[in-house]
Amino acid sequence: MKKRLPKIGFHFFCTIIYVFLLAPIVVVLMSSLTATDYIVFPPKGLTLRWYVELVNHPEFMQSFMLSVFVALGTSLISTAIGTLTSIAIVRHQFKGKTAIVQLVGSPLLIPSVVFGVALLQFYSWIGLAASPAALIIGHIILTIPFVMRLVVASLVGFDRSIEQAAMNLGAGKFRVFFQITLPIIKSGVIAGAIFSFITSFDDLTVALFIVSTDVVTLPVRIFTYMQYQYDPIITSVSSIMILLTIVLMIIIERVLGVGKVFASKNQ
Amino acid sequence: MSYLCLENLVKTFNKTEVVKKLNLEIKQGELVSFLGPSGCGKTTTLNMIAGFTEVDEGKIVVDGKPVHLLPPNKREMGMVFQNYALFPHMTVFDNVAYGLKLSKIGKSETQRRVLEALEMVRLSGYEKRYPKELSGGQQQRVSLARALVIKPKLLLLDEPLSNLDAKLRQEMREEIVEIQKNVGITTIFVTHDQEEALAISDRIAVMYEGRIEQADSPVSIYNHPKTDFVSRFIGEVNQIQGKVTEILGTHQSKLNFYGNEQIVAVNAMKNAEMDFFIRPENIQISLVETNDRNIGFKAKVERKMFLGAKTRYILKAQNKHLIADISNVVLNSNLIHEGSSVYAAWKPEHLLPSRNVR
Repeated sequence: MKKRLPKIGFHFFCTIIYVFLLAPIVVVLMSSLTATDYIVFPPKGLTLRWYVELVNHPEFMQSFMLSVFVALGTSLISTAIGTLTSIAIVRHQFKGKTAIVQLVGSPLLIPSVVFGVALLQFYSWIGLAASPAALIIGHIILTIPFVMRLVVASLVGFDRSIEQAAMNLGAGKFRVFFQITLPIIKSGVIAGAIFSFITSFDDLTVALFIVSTDVVTLPVRIFTYMQYQYDPIITSVSSIMILLTIVLMIIIERVLGVGKVFASKNQ
Repeated sequence: MSYLCLENLVKTFNKTEVVKKLNLEIKQGELVSFLGPSGCGKTTTLNMIAGFTEVDEGKIVVDGKPVHLLPPNKREMGMVFQNYALFPHMTVFDNVAYGLKLSKIGKSETQRRVLEALEMVRLSGYEKRYPKELSGGQQQRVSLARALVIKPKLLLLDEPLSNLDAKLRQEMREEIVEIQKNVGITTIFVTHDQEEALAISDRIAVMYEGRIEQADSPVSIYNHPKTDFVSRFIGEVNQIQGKVTEILGTHQSKLNFYGNEQIVAVNAMKNAEMDFFIRPENIQISLVETNDRNIGFKAKVERKMFLGAKTRYILKAQNKHLIADISNVVLNSNLIHEGSSVYAAWKPEHLLPSRNVR
């Protein structure tokens, strides 16, 4: 009896957490099936009408493609820069190291609204117009801290004699990096890439300051659309995003295992 | 003709000389241990040979060719690390095959040599396992196979046994020597464990503060230490003092220890105080006075420790402590109690003269 009670409490607690996390997703998914012209939960009637309706809104598709492009670019570049910076920081002592660590980590501390305003001013000063490149640069700055957190974690406790062993067997510096170092910190690097992708894909605050009428990311598109209309097409777009994320997660799980991706140390 | 030649090696880290003009020559096929306390420069020296640490001054010559300016991947040396350093993302087969793949050896040849190397370390059948699925001893064997499969010019072992438990350590060290002798590869074995070094080495280089104090066979190192450090570091010693009472000739002097006189084969000056070392196992004790060739003096047993095959007695004579290890076969330890009075003795040839001139 003594042991039972805490166990029941634990299960109750877990259930509450799951409900709290999953309920909004379920609500969105279900209300996208409503037959009404307005968003309602629980849905009235059952139809895929709002998914078909998307055909009449090519701007959502455009924005989706742009967001994917920006997120991919951000993820690729920021993972590359973040990984190399992490290696420098973990393994070498040099002048101004603390300054670099603080500088690179600062986007985590600055409110993204402030960061957005700063970027807007900076871009207009150097004359950079709203473009996918402008978005990617902004997002790289935003996501590098995430990449570094994860890669640094997988580098700490990295046994460097493994690299020495490879050198000893005849491998040059590049070989050692690509055949030994990178595969061993792979989980941290991939987790960093996924985080950057999601952060970039999801970003509204910073993008709001950079977008123009013809360069609009998906979150900004949804946001502006909702200011004028409030029909279930929003929920169908959101549902597609959710389903895509789930597919992404399943792929990662199949390829690597989520546990492995988020484990900080290689075993 | 020596195979490996270390000439005046110097390494400085942050203005401290870690290795100071180190010289050593090693013959082909020899197994030489670098033995010393931590911080004596043994690992630094090994890393200089492997190429992981730059040489500040001096030369490293292998088989007549200087190698100290080559990067580690061009030196053709096989190294076994303390923590095994296996590639965690590769199978046992791929770990061992890594060096062969880099040297562009054909697939069937690679396969043959890897399997051969794994057989040599008795790990046939483990090809598809990953390092984390193996025990520490097995991982170290894979590491040994990986180092030997490329037929390196030198085998470097960096404290390879220190992460294993005592029993496995003994088994592994015998296995290493056996493989080393079969392959006939020149080997350097870094260790801080003197028992290990004594057991397996052809020669031991005892290192202290960046220098080699003595490089000699295990027997010579133990029985004829050339410096005070070697006397104290290898095995255990008692330090005793004697006063020279009479010079009997070159290399023959009479000394007084604890009130008794003994003739010792040393050069001395009359009335000089001299330091000697004597190992605990070379002190005998008995309940009655011994014959005259061995100096015998009265001592009191302060403590007694039963150590299995032997018993250790902590003796006190003239306010100085002496440790004596006596085999339990020779003397029944039940006859001697703490507080007993005994006669302690040693043979003059067991005295190791100290270099400390007083």
